[in-house]
Amino acid sequence: MSKDDNSVHIFQGLLILGNVVIGMCGIALTAECIFFVSDPHGLYPLLEATENDDIYAAAWIGIFVGFALFSLSVLGITGVIKSNKTLLLVYIILMLITYAFEMASCITAATHQDFLTPNLFLKQMLERYQKMETDNNNDKWMSEGVTKTWNNLMLQNHCCGVHGPSDWQKYASAFRSSYNDADYPWPHQCCVMDARGSPVNLDGCKLGVPGYYNSNGCYDAISGPMNRQAWGVAWFGFAILCWTFWVLLGTMFYWSRIEY
Amino acid sequence: MRGNWIVLAFCSLGQLYADQSLKPQTAAAQLATNNPTLTTIALEKPFCMFDSSLHPNKSYTVYLYAMMELAIAISSLVTDNRSKPLDSTFQQTSGGRLGPYKAALFNVPNCASPPNLADVGDINKVSDVLKQYLFRVGNDETCLYDPNFLDVCNPPLTPDTTYRFKYMLVDNTDCIMKDQTLWSDPIKTRRVKLPMKIDTGPGRRSGGMIVITSILSVFVFLLLSGFLASVSSTVRVLPKGRSRLLRPPKWSPCDHPGHTEPAPN
Repeated sequence: MSKDDNSVHIFQGLLILGNVVIGMCGIALTAECIFFVSDPHGLYPLLEATENDDIYAAAWIGIFVGFALFSLSVLGITGVIKSNKTLLLVYIILMLITYAFEMASCITAATHQDFLTPNLFLKQMLERYQKMETDNNNDKWMSEGVTKTWNNLMLQNHCCGVHGPSDWQKYASAFRSSYNDADYPWPHQCCVMDARGSPVNLDGCKLGVPGYYNSNGCYDAISGPMNRQAWGVAWFGFAILCWTFWVLLGTMFYWSRIEY
Repeated sequence: MRGNWIVLAFCSLGQLYADQSLKPQTAAAQLATNNPTLTTIALEKPFCMFDSSLHPNKSYTVYLYAMMELAIAISSLVTDNRSKPLDSTFQQTSGGRLGPYKAALFNVPNCASPPNLADVGDINKVSDVLKQYLFRVGNDETCLYDPNFLDVCNPPLTPDTTYRFKYMLVDNTDCIMKDQTLWSDPIKTRRVKLPMKIDTGPGRRSGGMIVITSILSVFVFLLLSGFLASVSSTVRVLPKGRSRLLRPPKWSPCDHPGHTEPAPN
């Protein structure tokens, strides 16, 4: 029955190849999610203050799912080579559980990315930036996080506000209640700074003279990294799941055909 | 001879006409993009507006008066009956509600050599250019509360209010008004919107999210049904005698003395 043997060997080879790919993708997913969780752009306090930081939850799940995929792929390869029914049954059940978690992570990342609109960050910036009278410790923590993040954002990216400096003029804000309009039409971090970190010309900045204030908005600097994170977690996870689907179906078929 | 008189009459009429149309203007919008703000308004200084009234050997000062538009009904006089400029302050007129108040004093701007606005790009010259070109009404936050402040106080204006301004040329020796511009067009300070009115809803669901959710749901369903199918096929594929699940329990004659083994199914 060499033809049968051949087809069995080919099928085994395909399953092993599938599992190798799953293992590598699992490591890649873990690495990608660790990168996102480490928050290289320092934007996490903004999400934390919106109380909508589920794209970080999705990344955390991704770390553990990636590692689980790698371990299970090793188990799967062993099971296929030995044609051991018990090993493969354990593999299938654990893979289904991992599949469910990864599915949750993908859907969470994709769904919550839709919530990250300019208005969300605008409202949060106006309500929390430089908020002095905080209600409780949680409020204080979030407001300090938002203030620090925005100061860094504005200084490093040479931008101001979400749409532009006019945000500070169009809307009332916590900043406006602490800082008067005549001296601070917008925060001084919006001014073009010299090498020592002070505005080049404060009057020019206050009047809005071109060249002495940053006229572009910071939304691109915020949404760029966040969208990349959400898309990276959601779509890479989705791709892994599409591949894993076929490997799992093949493994179930192989398992059902193993003789005791 | 008569022609000369006619020309002179026309000229002076023309001058008067020119003076009548001169009003304070807001600073150039390309230069001062943030104007007016909530509490300040930047006005262009009166370049070449008073030149016909300037005497070469005398010194003059320009006074700036500001008032709210609703004060027109009460009073819009900036001089008393002897042409002396009104010495009203921000506090006396309740911020311009009861009449004009004196907001600033400065030297007559140089008509012959006005500041070059292109110099704004130079860091060293920008302060001077701004100082010579415009004046920011409402710039001084602290003078109202400083008892030692002796200069003309220029406190912040009220948001969402219409103001009007007037420049006046005053002779320094006898402190008499020599010339004045018209009241400016109404200029309104900005108003603010409340941030709680901002709509932070996400709007429509994105296509990507719908694709991921639907496809993954189908996959999970297929996987679970495939798992059930393979488990049930494993259970059924073994023949009945050898199936561990379907084998009857072991029966021993020693447990039930007097009975023989029942016939196999």
